[in-house]
Amino acid sequence: MTQPDMQNPTNINRKGLRYLLRAESMVAPDPVTDRALIAVIVILTFMAALTAGLVQFASVATARWQVVLASEVTVQIRPQIGRDIEIDLKHAEDLLRNVHGVTKVRIYPREETVRLLEPWLGSASVLDSLPIPRLIAVQISNDDPPDIISLSQSLTREIPGLSIDDHRTWTRRLSRIGETLIIASFAIFALVMLAVTMAIVFATRGAMAGNRAIIEVLYFIGAEDRYIARVFQFHFFSLGLVGGLIGGSLSIIVLFFLKIIAVNSDGLRETFGLGSVNVLSGPGWSVFVVTLLVVAVVAGLAALVSRITVFKTIDKFE
Amino acid sequence: MQATPYRSGGELVRFENVGLRYGVAPETLSDISFSILPQSFQFLTGASGTGKTTLLRLVMQALKPTRGMISLFGHDTATLDKDEFTALRRRMGIVFQDFRLLDHLTTYENVALPLKVRGRSESSFRAEVMDLLKWVGLGDLVDAKPPLLSGGEKQRASIARALVTQPELLLADEPTGNVDPALARRLLRLFVELNRSGTAILIATHDLGLMQQIDGGRRLVLADHRLHIEG
Repeated sequence: MTQPDMQNPTNINRKGLRYLLRAESMVAPDPVTDRALIAVIVILTFMAALTAGLVQFASVATARWQVVLASEVTVQIRPQIGRDIEIDLKHAEDLLRNVHGVTKVRIYPREETVRLLEPWLGSASVLDSLPIPRLIAVQISNDDPPDIISLSQSLTREIPGLSIDDHRTWTRRLSRIGETLIIASFAIFALVMLAVTMAIVFATRGAMAGNRAIIEVLYFIGAEDRYIARVFQFHFFSLGLVGGLIGGSLSIIVLFFLKIIAVNSDGLRETFGLGSVNVLSGPGWSVFVVTLLVVAVVAGLAALVSRITVFKTIDKFE
Repeated sequence: MQATPYRSGGELVRFENVGLRYGVAPETLSDISFSILPQSFQFLTGASGTGKTTLLRLVMQALKPTRGMISLFGHDTATLDKDEFTALRRRMGIVFQDFRLLDHLTTYENVALPLKVRGRSESSFRAEVMDLLKWVGLGDLVDAKPPLLSGGEKQRASIARALVTQPELLLADEPTGNVDPALARRLLRLFVELNRSGTAILIATHDLGLMQQIDGGRRLVLADHRLHIEG
């Protein structure tokens, strides 16, 4: 009779996927329980991946707002007695064009400025008689912006009544709103993941309940604890992966359609600054990466819970 | 039928003053001391509820004693780690009272399971599993699944699964409890043949008629929570 080696009771566990696939058949297929678990995982993964995608949308949109605001400054020239504002505007434009870091300069024509003020001050005929400040829109490089303070000082010396608004107040406020939005989105994502974790733990434990007899048989016919754990781990990882991939794919499809709706809606595009943000390229790839991470976490959780359940069941035998 | 006579020698199982209680209840088993030798044949008997299954579970290490010492194959079980327990379990074959066959596997797959969990390839064990199935009279039912088998067929499949690794010790809990007298005799003959080929046998049963068919078998009798040895 063959005597087992007490130091190394088995030479199993080291034979790769083929061995695992063969071992996996020891788990009784239970279509009802398996499908129920997959359905739970599909829904939970969908929610988690969708939340993760929306968090990314929020952070991309916030970053976009900040970039748009930070890349433009407005030069304002107030009319001064004894000075020709058109000459001052032209002079300011020439000076600005020669400043390092300025990429585009555009003088707002008087008619455009009047149109901007019309909602507050009434008809154009009234405005014609008023000394209206004139505006110059200045695009600046985001990578190498000019020093706004020294630019403002040098322009003011040359042109009295000139001031520069670098939208700092707005940028700061929007930045705070953006940060709050991102923190709130992450908090929601964390809560969703917590709910997902708990639901998967309970669903997997429920699905494992019917397998106690198999664990017991495998244990008493001489299977190693690690071997039994791996048999179930592989089974539940497979279920988790299938459910996760379905849920993750659905969330990507929904995000893709949301993006199409957003870029085709003028209001939404303006609101979220999505005009140049493509979900499926550039920052959009992170949607896939995060979704795959969520799927991996979900499948890993299902495997881990089944493993822990196996060890707990075996501990009761010992 | 003649079983191998009991001789002293290196013990497969040794119980010394073993006691077991659940919680604060009185002891279910008290001061149990006995040993099982290689190639020996013994019945564990007693009225229903006297603790036969509990004693078997202590031998198979499904329960831990609350006092006393249990030694398996020369190893004190109190000092063994998980891997060592696995190695010891592999030297035993267990026939459960309720068979414990896996319903989603065929008879062949159920019997081959102990070899499979040891990592052996199917090509290395297919012939020996088929031979064993023929030996227990299940040669025509290799592809049948347990729900389609009769009680006796399930019992024989369960016995074949316990024997397939050629264990040094076979523990059987009421192996004839679910079969008719004729089949019980056939199963008993199977155990005797196995014993003659070198396996020590411990059969828990309350069937006196079954025990009377064996000459030379020891009787471990449980009564009043204690064990008395006859023969």
